[in-house]
Amino acid sequence: MQYLLLIYTDESLREPALLQDITAAHMRLGAELAEAGAMVGGNRLKTSDTATTIRTAGGAKTLHDGPYAETREQLAGYYLIEAPDLDAAIGWGKKIPGGPNYAIEVRPIWPLA
Amino acid sequence: MDAEALLDVAVREAGDRIRAALAMRFRDLDMAEEAFGFAALRAVETWRRDGAPRDPAAWLYAVARRRAFDLGRRAQVRQRAVHDAPEPPPDPETILMAAFEPIPDERLRLIFICCHPALAPEARIALTLRTLCGLSVERIARAWLTTEVAMQQRLTRAKGKIRDAAIRFEIPEPDQWPERLEAVLATLEIAYAQAYEDAAGLSDAADLARETLRLSGLLAELLPDEPEVLGLAAMIRLAESRRPARLDDLGAMTPLSEQDVDLWDAALIAEAAGLLRRAADLGCSGPYQLMATIHAVHAARRETGATAWADIVTLYDILLAVRPSAVAEVNRAVALAEAEGAEQGLTALAAIDAQIGERARLADWLPYQAARAGLCAKAGLQAEAADALRRALALHPAPAERLFLQRRLADLGA
Repeated sequence: MQYLLLIYTDESLREPALLQDITAAHMRLGAELAEAGAMVGGNRLKTSDTATTIRTAGGAKTLHDGPYAETREQLAGYYLIEAPDLDAAIGWGKKIPGGPNYAIEVRPIWPLA
Repeated sequence: MDAEALLDVAVREAGDRIRAALAMRFRDLDMAEEAFGFAALRAVETWRRDGAPRDPAAWLYAVARRRAFDLGRRAQVRQRAVHDAPEPPPDPETILMAAFEPIPDERLRLIFICCHPALAPEARIALTLRTLCGLSVERIARAWLTTEVAMQQRLTRAKGKIRDAAIRFEIPEPDQWPERLEAVLATLEIAYAQAYEDAAGLSDAADLARETLRLSGLLAELLPDEPEVLGLAAMIRLAESRRPARLDDLGAMTPLSEQDVDLWDAALIAEAAGLLRRAADLGCSGPYQLMATIHAVHAARRETGATAWADIVTLYDILLAVRPSAVAEVNRAVALAEAEGAEQGLTALAAIDAQIGERARLADWLPYQAARAGLCAKAGLQAEAADALRRALALHPAPAERLFLQRRLADLGA
């Protein structure tokens, strides 16, 4: 079963040394996921000020500058992994590095019938 | 014994085991529920007509299992969802034979699934009571003061998450064990707290208390080497042992310190003492054992005629160090008032305000106002006590507590 691990972080975090550490930790996690055969894909996203949201209301589409939800923590990247069950996926999710405050959302992928 | 009575006994004695075995075998909680319901219905008809089977529980399991296979085929459940090869269509002969097949004990696995930390706590409780204990949705809804429709939605959502997010139908791995066990214990703790609220226990909370008592005992049986599991089972037993003394003749709540100790359930107290001794032998303390020990110090009044309040204060100090909570803070303040005087208790109560820094929230919290009322009255602060009682009464106490608070207010002449 595949799971998407969505990474929500505080974009105001700018401290270079810390960011460098986090990046290095991501590299290590990526290697560990690959080693375990659990890595399907993953990417870091550009910051949410580069986001454009296409909203559809009553069939009409409008564009909005910015992310879908204006929250303190923003979607910053994701891993797409293969895991046998939710506990295993949560186990990987707990290994995802970040600053002092961040959140990982674990979402099962809807399988193609 | 007539068919209905026989069914009652079989369900009481083996219902949870059968439900768990079905859920695990078919890895589908809805199907297990439906199949069990079918078997129970069929049992009354068949037993009335043909007489009782030799082993009613095994009969129920065999018929439910066959029903689940039929349901599975009908729903065209994919082969991989059913681990064992499909059984050939059964004839009465095989049902009879199957009746001698032992029912596997899958209750622990089912508890861990129903209490998975990825499910919301209230969903865990509802799911455990429904799936393992077989409590009706309506009864669970009433205990949580919600509608049957809302409770059904909550259950459906939880079962959907177990299925769609692929929560594993297995005992957790060692590295997940502490977190998963904690979720199980917390689920039972919250369920019991809900049952305990209503001192009268006349309502559906009594069902809930009985089921939580049973579940905690079952867990202690299944995990005899987990000290905190034993601690929780002891805690629930000690709290429940006081139920017969918690109401006076007029239906008003009787506070712990004024309860008639002869009404306490000695068997439950003895059982809890045994559990706590075993937990202590395992040599690893934790919050549930501490809370149980506090209850045990209260229970000792039955033997000694006195309460060792200073010990209780010390135990609350340790508990607050390992698991801080507003409940423990308030209870510690009350114990301190008994041990050292009302002034000290009030000072401790005021300190909670300062620490938590959420005075407004604490002020809207019934146990806090009830405790403040007691301590103010003890300290001779009549006006403050009356104020706290009025605030407490405005916070929707259960009927028995309302009567108690009203009486206190009348005693103050306010």
